[in-house]
Amino acid sequence: MEIRVNPTRMELNLLKKRLKMAERGHKLLKDKRDELIRQFLILVRKNKELREHVEKELSAAFARFLLARAVMSAENLEEALMYPTKKLSLEINKQNIMSVYAPKFSWVEEESGRGENSSIYPYGFVDTSAELDISIETLSGILPRLMELAEVEKAVQLLAEEIEKTRRRVNALEYILIPKLGDTIKYITMKLDENERGALTRLMKIKDIVRAKM
Amino acid sequence: MPVNDTIYAYAVGRIRALETRLLDRSRFERMIDSSSAEDALKVLAETDYSGAVSELSDFHNFESVLTAELKNSFDTLIRICPRPELIKILILRYDVHNLKVLFKAKYLGIKSDLFIPIGSLDLEKLAYSAAEDDYRDLPVKLRRAAEKISEDFLMNRDPQAIDLILDRVLYEQLIAVARENGSAFLEGMFIRQIDLTNLRSLIRIKRMGLDREFIKKVLLPQGTLPIDRLTANLDEPLESLVSSLMMSDYADLIEEGVREWLEKGTASRLEKLSDDYITAYLKQGKWMPFGFEPLVGYLWAKEIEIKNIRLVLVGKINRLPAEAIRERIRDVYI
Repeated sequence: MEIRVNPTRMELNLLKKRLKMAERGHKLLKDKRDELIRQFLILVRKNKELREHVEKELSAAFARFLLARAVMSAENLEEALMYPTKKLSLEINKQNIMSVYAPKFSWVEEESGRGENSSIYPYGFVDTSAELDISIETLSGILPRLMELAEVEKAVQLLAEEIEKTRRRVNALEYILIPKLGDTIKYITMKLDENERGALTRLMKIKDIVRAKM
Repeated sequence: MPVNDTIYAYAVGRIRALETRLLDRSRFERMIDSSSAEDALKVLAETDYSGAVSELSDFHNFESVLTAELKNSFDTLIRICPRPELIKILILRYDVHNLKVLFKAKYLGIKSDLFIPIGSLDLEKLAYSAAEDDYRDLPVKLRRAAEKISEDFLMNRDPQAIDLILDRVLYEQLIAVARENGSAFLEGMFIRQIDLTNLRSLIRIKRMGLDREFIKKVLLPQGTLPIDRLTANLDEPLESLVSSLMMSDYADLIEEGVREWLEKGTASRLEKLSDDYITAYLKQGKWMPFGFEPLVGYLWAKEIEIKNIRLVLVGKINRLPAEAIRERIRDVYI
């Protein structure tokens, strides 16, 4: 399984250097992997909590919305929601988690109305149902959480990818490159030793012959 | 102006015949108890809606059936009513809806297809006036409202104001036209609708935590419940609203509606009771041999019937429990 090399002292030195480097890289990557997994677990827990919360609220809001939909005609409902009072502008920045660049959202709510009483409800009260108020309110309240969830979920995805990559690298170093280098080094050492022994025996043999002739 | 009620003899005769074809309670019960939306539609297909239902390729598009049926009813009534201008009063609500859509579409810079094809105003003409900011062809009150909206929106850009201004002017116009035509019955209906809308708005605004300034813009002034008295309840607990209305016609309705609102946080009961209240009022006209009243009653009954069908179908499509649908079903007229 060794790497094909010339069994020379020069190569041996080179390989020893590579082995050292590989071992150092292996240790570093292992540390990185462990830290990534730690971060990952924190985020995953946060993600789970957020998701459960958001899903609960969302399903409540949708249930309300359904009721509003059931008592209002499609045209009325859509007219009511046609022109939203608030506009959201989203800005995406990067945040660095263990050199994984996860998105960081920041957003500004812009009021489209300049009236002092402009509310989150863009419709009148005559043809609309109170169920609509409640679902709009829930949805509007849930928005920050929803953004946070998106952020965390993306970070979790990116981290998982990075962990996978790092794990591959660690394994490649641990099970392939390092044993291979070790084997090759052993091979070269043995070859060199053998050569040395051969040279020694030859010398002794020659010495014997020379002595016999004298 | 006193009008001889016998001119309605033919129209009332037609209405009596049409009334028998309205969906009754047991039909709705069958729809509620059916296992799926398709089955509910099958029940519907046994009624007057059969033609439209059989043409429906996907039951999610049931709204088109309902709109078509409503338009059909209005068209029939305009045809048979000796004074079609009275029916046109009831159509005004849809004109106002179309105006709302028009204004919102205009300010958003989009084209919209949310118009209800029942309005008496020509949509193309409306679109033209909105584009040109020229509302000469609208009825006086609507024209003023339209001008007010154009002005207000430039200043505040608040889409809610569009709805608020138009809703207000709608009821002003309704009351005015009802009076003009000497129909105390219609006026009574609008006033009751105003009162009930005001009560609902009050409760909703209270929940939203908005202030008195705002509620003044929302409450409609022509009701029998004085606005001052209603506004005064904004800072009080809802129970005091109930007790202050103890002596009014709305005592039972508001008590039950508010109880449900406080206990379950849902206004469904109040909204249902409000509709039932109007139905009960209109039922007076049911036994009149001649007169305009049965016609109004029939149109209202049709609107409620369509509301109920929508409720059942939306509920069935989304697998709402039968109980949740049943408690929201409005009383039927017949």
